[in-house]
Amino acid sequence: MKILPAVACALAALVSAAASAAYPERPIKLIVPWAAGGDTDVIYRTFAPLMQKQLGGTIVVANVGGASGTKGAKEALAAPADGYTIFAVHDSIHATYYTGVADVNYTDFEPICLVSSTPSIVTASPKTSWRDMKALLADAKARPGQITVGATLGSTSHFFPAMVEQATGVKFKYVSYEGTAPRMNALLGGHVDLAESNLTQKGKADAGQLRFLAIATATRNDEIPNVPTLKELGIDVEYAVNRGLLALKGTPADALARLRAACGAAARDPGFAEAMKKQGTLVRYLDHDAYAAFLRKEDGLNKALAKELGLLKR
Amino acid sequence: MIGRDGWAGLVVLAASLVLFALTLRLEDSPLVPIGPGFYPRIVLGATALLAAWMVLADLLAARRAAPRAARVRRNYALVWLMFAAFGLYVGTLAYLGFRIATLLYVAAVNALLDRPRGARGWARVAVVALATTAAVYVVFERELSVLLPRGRWTDF
Amino acid sequence: MFELLGAGLAGMLQLKYLAPLAIGALVGVVGGAIPGITITMTVIVVLPFTFGLEPLQGLAAMIGVYVGGETGGLIASCLLGIPGKPSAVATTFDGFPMARKGEPGRAIWLGIWASIFGGLLGAIVLIAATEPLARFALQFGPWEYFSLFILALSMVAGLVESSLAKGLASGALGCVVTILGNDPVLGRERLTLGIPWLEGGIPFLPVLIGVFAFAQIMSDVEKMGGAASAEQALDRGVSLAVSHARVLWDILSRPFVLLWCSFIGLVIGVLPAIGGSAANMLAWDQAKKFSRHPEKFGTGIPEGIIASESSNNANVAGSLVTIMAFGIPGDAVTAVMLGALTVHGIQSGPLFISQNAQIAYGMFAAYILAHAIVLAILLLGVRWMLRIVVVPRSILFPVVLVLCTVGAYALGNAMASVYVLLVFGVAGYAMVKVGFPLAPFILGVILGDQIEVNLIRALMTNPDPWLFLTRPISGLLLGAAVLSIAAALWQHHRQRRRMAAAGAGDADF
Repeated sequence: MKILPAVACALAALVSAAASAAYPERPIKLIVPWAAGGDTDVIYRTFAPLMQKQLGGTIVVANVGGASGTKGAKEALAAPADGYTIFAVHDSIHATYYTGVADVNYTDFEPICLVSSTPSIVTASPKTSWRDMKALLADAKARPGQITVGATLGSTSHFFPAMVEQATGVKFKYVSYEGTAPRMNALLGGHVDLAESNLTQKGKADAGQLRFLAIATATRNDEIPNVPTLKELGIDVEYAVNRGLLALKGTPADALARLRAACGAAARDPGFAEAMKKQGTLVRYLDHDAYAAFLRKEDGLNKALAKELGLLKR
Repeated sequence: MIGRDGWAGLVVLAASLVLFALTLRLEDSPLVPIGPGFYPRIVLGATALLAAWMVLADLLAARRAAPRAARVRRNYALVWLMFAAFGLYVGTLAYLGFRIATLLYVAAVNALLDRPRGARGWARVAVVALATTAAVYVVFERELSVLLPRGRWTDF
Repeated sequence: MFELLGAGLAGMLQLKYLAPLAIGALVGVVGGAIPGITITMTVIVVLPFTFGLEPLQGLAAMIGVYVGGETGGLIASCLLGIPGKPSAVATTFDGFPMARKGEPGRAIWLGIWASIFGGLLGAIVLIAATEPLARFALQFGPWEYFSLFILALSMVAGLVESSLAKGLASGALGCVVTILGNDPVLGRERLTLGIPWLEGGIPFLPVLIGVFAFAQIMSDVEKMGGAASAEQALDRGVSLAVSHARVLWDILSRPFVLLWCSFIGLVIGVLPAIGGSAANMLAWDQAKKFSRHPEKFGTGIPEGIIASESSNNANVAGSLVTIMAFGIPGDAVTAVMLGALTVHGIQSGPLFISQNAQIAYGMFAAYILAHAIVLAILLLGVRWMLRIVVVPRSILFPVVLVLCTVGAYALGNAMASVYVLLVFGVAGYAMVKVGFPLAPFILGVILGDQIEVNLIRALMTNPDPWLFLTRPISGLLLGAAVLSIAAALWQHHRQRRRMAAAGAGDADF
């Protein structure tokens, strides 16, 4: 019978992966808690292959978007702590925890390493009359609570304009636009006046479809030398979205060590820095100890911020 | 006399009213001026009204007592078995893992839809199940990097 | 624009894209040819494969399925008298009689060539209209989107044959699905009914897969074990030889039918959520009305086949316009495509074509090339199609259901979607049994969250609810929604009076 060899082949294909080897013996799932195509997704789709090379196993990016990034966090928490699920986190985890959007906290995870930092830019719709930050502030003072800001509520894109509000004493009106892409659509169509964005939108700013007003870094950025920093303008706000990787608490030590080593090597890969530059993102590597300290500091800052902004819910 | 549409309308009406009652317990959120219950109440209200319309229309419609002659004989037992098999498959997928559960499921459905007769029949069932499972597994997990569920009991 | 299209065509000719396109077209032709397997189901089966591919590869495969399916559906229609899919129903009216009169080859090739011409006419409009429409759509704020979605829902509900109340209730039930589990604005739990896998809300693709796959498969299963099915009556020795020159002359000597019916297909396609099943009937009816010999329709004349087949392929182009310009699915097939786009992180909507020009023009190119490929497949393999039409259900069904499960699982890499698939599989079958139309329900599920998000956005931007009526585009759209309901009411009223006694129709998809 000709069928027997085929059956044997099928059986072999099914069983082959069962022979166990050292970690990682099967694909690792990297949960990105945002929609594919977003900033986080783009960064990790670049990062995963580099880390994969170091790790000698496959990393599959799984987008579990929704609910201000907390849906993916819950999904990650529900997975077994075997080193085969890792979580791509950014600052919003602190914000969503303190604003009461979700119960997931960074302390539920084990740090692997910090990967990147993306500075925020105050961005205006081309349909507004503001040429610069000063005009925006003057208008905002004249019409308190009427300038609309598109934001993922309770997350970084909400916190950043809220910090500007606080530093300058103006009052904005927030409208829910979750994710960078819908926010940019709304800016372009003039359905909101203002939003947080970053250098990934440089193309649209150059084409006059968006207007960069000020960047929240200490010094001006080489890519956009004519955009002033908020600090120059006397607004004491520095803000960036920092992205790192976390593993589940209780992940076996050897797996964790492999992940940390691979993450570090991938972050130092010159190809990664090159790719990130196009994303308007700086590579910012911190090993797990430094990252743990960083997370603690950020957590405190976010709590204080949430409190000052009147959003603290716990 | 109430007909099929009427009963369907009543079920929908009851369900939407229960859900409507549940929305009243939703708290307003701090960041959005309109609470999370606002839109559900609109939708459920509309659903309830439409369901009521269905019931009314059914009650008012003149009953046609015309039993259709050549009725197709319908094999509902097979439908139930198919649903039961799929339910079992989905239920055990997370525990047995994709490969084992799929093998069993494909074999079961193939046997259900075409009763195997004799050794040849059972051989066919086995080949179909094995080939399907192996092909799907190899194509997705190996070639396309689409992860398939692993068994919590079997870790396979 | 032409440079972009040229680049798109050149890119699409690479093996990397050509292979998925050709495989998709083949799968589509086969799926379309098998009675009881709709294009929706075929595209659902193809969906999980696209997760592992590049976005454009996946989309090329889906476009191949779509075009192939619309064309392949006519084979069963002509030879068996059973439509391979709902959008080929009108093809049976003239295709089957013509085949019975001893001209099966002519019937099939008339249909194939009419499909190709209709599809290519559609392509012109697709390429010319998408960009201007997208620019127009950019002016749409949350008010306009809200009103557009309401219009789409009311139009689909109004098209339902059985009763308007049921159509509307079906759409409302679809929206109810989206309010369960999770609030789309802040992502908080709401109305989870204590079910853990409901916490993240209900994603629309598993619902769509479950409802369509089970409604269809189970409706077939319940008829199994009965009388011998018509497939066995198929004469496999039938000769399909035909003079292509004569068939082409048949079509081109009737330019009015071809143009007018392609146009009808396009318009129906552009209107959100009304699929090819409406297009081919309407086109056939129109061709009959405008004909000098309407009494011959239904006896096996070329016009009938041309009308039906040119309209259903042009309809594909129309649906693609809507999804590319507005990000709103024109039918269930494009809804699955929308899902595939989202999985790959491509934001469909007015900015799609300008921000993803490479993908957009790649899709145009794929659409054009798909017709050539489908033609080649049929020229080479129309004989084998006759065999494929009779593939055993006992193998087909489990394979399809396993692929549906993989698709649902891979969507969010979570079992939750698979449970949703099961629940809505049962619900879909139950709806068919109770006579709830599926199309408005699915549209409600697809649009529900968007309706809520845009409603809340509008009210957060400006609390004045009258803006929905006073903003001109939004007001117009809402007016059209009211009109479409009124028209449906009037139509149903008239129909009921005309035919007081008639049996209940079969399930409609």
